[in-house]
Amino acid sequence: MKKLARLFALVLAMMMILSCSALAEDTSLADIKARGRLVLGLDAAFPPMGFMNDDGDIVGYDIDLAKEVCTRMGVELVCQPIEWSAKDMELSSGNIDCIWNGMTATEERQQTYSCSINYLQNAQVLVVLADSNITTLADLSGKTIALQSGSAAAEAVAANEEFSASLAGAPVEYGDYAMALMDLDNKGVDAVAMDVIVANYYITAKNANYRVLEEQLAPEFYAIGFRKADVTLTEEVNKLLKEMAADGTIAKISTQWFGSDISIVPAQ
Amino acid sequence: MQYLNDPERLMKLLTQLTHGFGTTLSIFAMTLIISLPLGMIVALGRMSRHKLISAPVSFYILIMRGTPLMLQLFAVYFFLPRLIGPIPRLNAVYIAFGLNYAAYFAEIYRGGIMSIPPGQYEAAQVLGFTRSQTFMRIILPQTVKRVLLPVSNEVITLVKDTSLATAIAVSEMFLTAKNMTSSSGSVEPLFIAGVFYLLMNAVVTAFFNFLTNRFNYYHD
Repeated sequence: MKKLARLFALVLAMMMILSCSALAEDTSLADIKARGRLVLGLDAAFPPMGFMNDDGDIVGYDIDLAKEVCTRMGVELVCQPIEWSAKDMELSSGNIDCIWNGMTATEERQQTYSCSINYLQNAQVLVVLADSNITTLADLSGKTIALQSGSAAAEAVAANEEFSASLAGAPVEYGDYAMALMDLDNKGVDAVAMDVIVANYYITAKNANYRVLEEQLAPEFYAIGFRKADVTLTEEVNKLLKEMAADGTIAKISTQWFGSDISIVPAQ
Repeated sequence: MQYLNDPERLMKLLTQLTHGFGTTLSIFAMTLIISLPLGMIVALGRMSRHKLISAPVSFYILIMRGTPLMLQLFAVYFFLPRLIGPIPRLNAVYIAFGLNYAAYFAEIYRGGIMSIPPGQYEAAQVLGFTRSQTFMRIILPQTVKRVLLPVSNEVITLVKDTSLATAIAVSEMFLTAKNMTSSSGSVEPLFIAGVFYLLMNAVVTAFFNFLTNRFNYYHD
C-alpha cells in the first residue's frame, strides 16, 4: 500500500513538473546555447537539400545553411537522420530540435510547428519519362501516379480534388522518392508527384531521363520547423538567415548547389 | 550501373555498408542475448498453474505477437521515455526486439516442453526425482533438441527483421543502403545489402546444421 502511495505521489509530481514546464517562459534559445549543440532532424534521402554522399557524410544545401547558422550561434550542428513519417514524434519527444530538410511550409505544418521564414521557393510538380506524351495535368486522366507518403506532394494531390478524382486510383505511396522514380522507370506508374527542387536535381545532376510538367500542382515554400513553443530559437535563426542573406553567404551556398542564387531570404 | 563498374565507388559503398553492418550485427546479437533466456522465463510463466502468473504472461504474449514490431519500436522509443526519461535509439531497438522475440521463443519452448510424453514425468516420480530435478535433468535436455529447428527459423527471420530498426532511424545497414539509393538513384546499394543478409544467414544456417548434428542422439 505504501508503495502504491509512493508511486501515486511520483506520478502526481511528474504531472506537475510537466504542466509547469508548459507554462514556463520560452528558454529554447538559451537551452540550445547552454547545451552547445543544435540537433537537426532530416530524412537523409532528400537530395540536394540533405542526403548521404558516397563517403557516408550528410551533405546538402540545408546542411550548409545550418552549419553556417550554428557557427554564428556559437553551437555545434548535429545531423540526426530520422524516418520522415515519424518527424512529429521525433520533434515533440525532444530527440531533435528542428526539422530542416526541404520541409514545405504547408498550412497544417504552420499550425503544428513554429516555422522559420520561407527560405526557398519550391513547387509540387509531376515528373514523367522524357519520351512520354503526357504534357498537362489533364493528360493524366485515367493514369496512375506515385508519391512519397507523408509528403507535401501527397497533400497537394489530395487538395486538388478535380485532379485526384481524374486519376485511375489512389496514388501509389512509397517511403522515398528513389523508389517512386524507379516505378516510373519501369512504367509501373505514369507520373511521380514531387518537389521541383528534387526533380531538377535528379534530372541535371544524375542525368535522369525525366521531364517536369510545366503545369504545377501547387507553388509553395520551404521553411524550418521548430517546436511550437520554441519561439526565441525560431526568431534567432530567422535573424541569422537574414544576416547571411545580407552579407552574401546564402548566395554563395545557393550557387554551389543550384548553379545560381535562388534563395528568397530577405536581407532585412 | 553506377557502382559495379566503378571499383572506387564500389569500395566506398562497401565501406559504408560494412559500417552499418556492425550495427546490424549488434542488434542481432543483443536481441538473442535478451530474448533466448527471457523466452524461457516467459514459457515457464505461461505454463504456471497459478492464474495470477499465467494470465498476465498470456496477455504479454498476445500483445507482442499480435501487434506489428514496428509499432512496438515506436512505443519503446517515443512513449516509454515519457515515463522513464530518454532512451538512446539503439537501446530502444534492443528492448523492443528483445521483448518481441522473447514471446516467440517462449511459445516455441512451451511447444517443446509439452511434447515430452507424460510417461517420463511419471517414471521420474517413481525413481524419486523431485519436480525441479525432473525438469532440469530429464525434460529440458530433450526439449533443446526438439526446439532447435523452430528456433533456427526465428533466428533467420531476425537477421532480416533487423532492417525494421530504420523505422526509428537507427543507421544500420539497410538504412545506409536506402540513403545511398536515394542519393545515387540506383538500386545497386539495396541489392548489395541483400547479399550481406544472405551471407549472414548462410552462416546462421551452417551453425544450426552443426548444432542439429551435434544433438542428433537417441532417436525416439
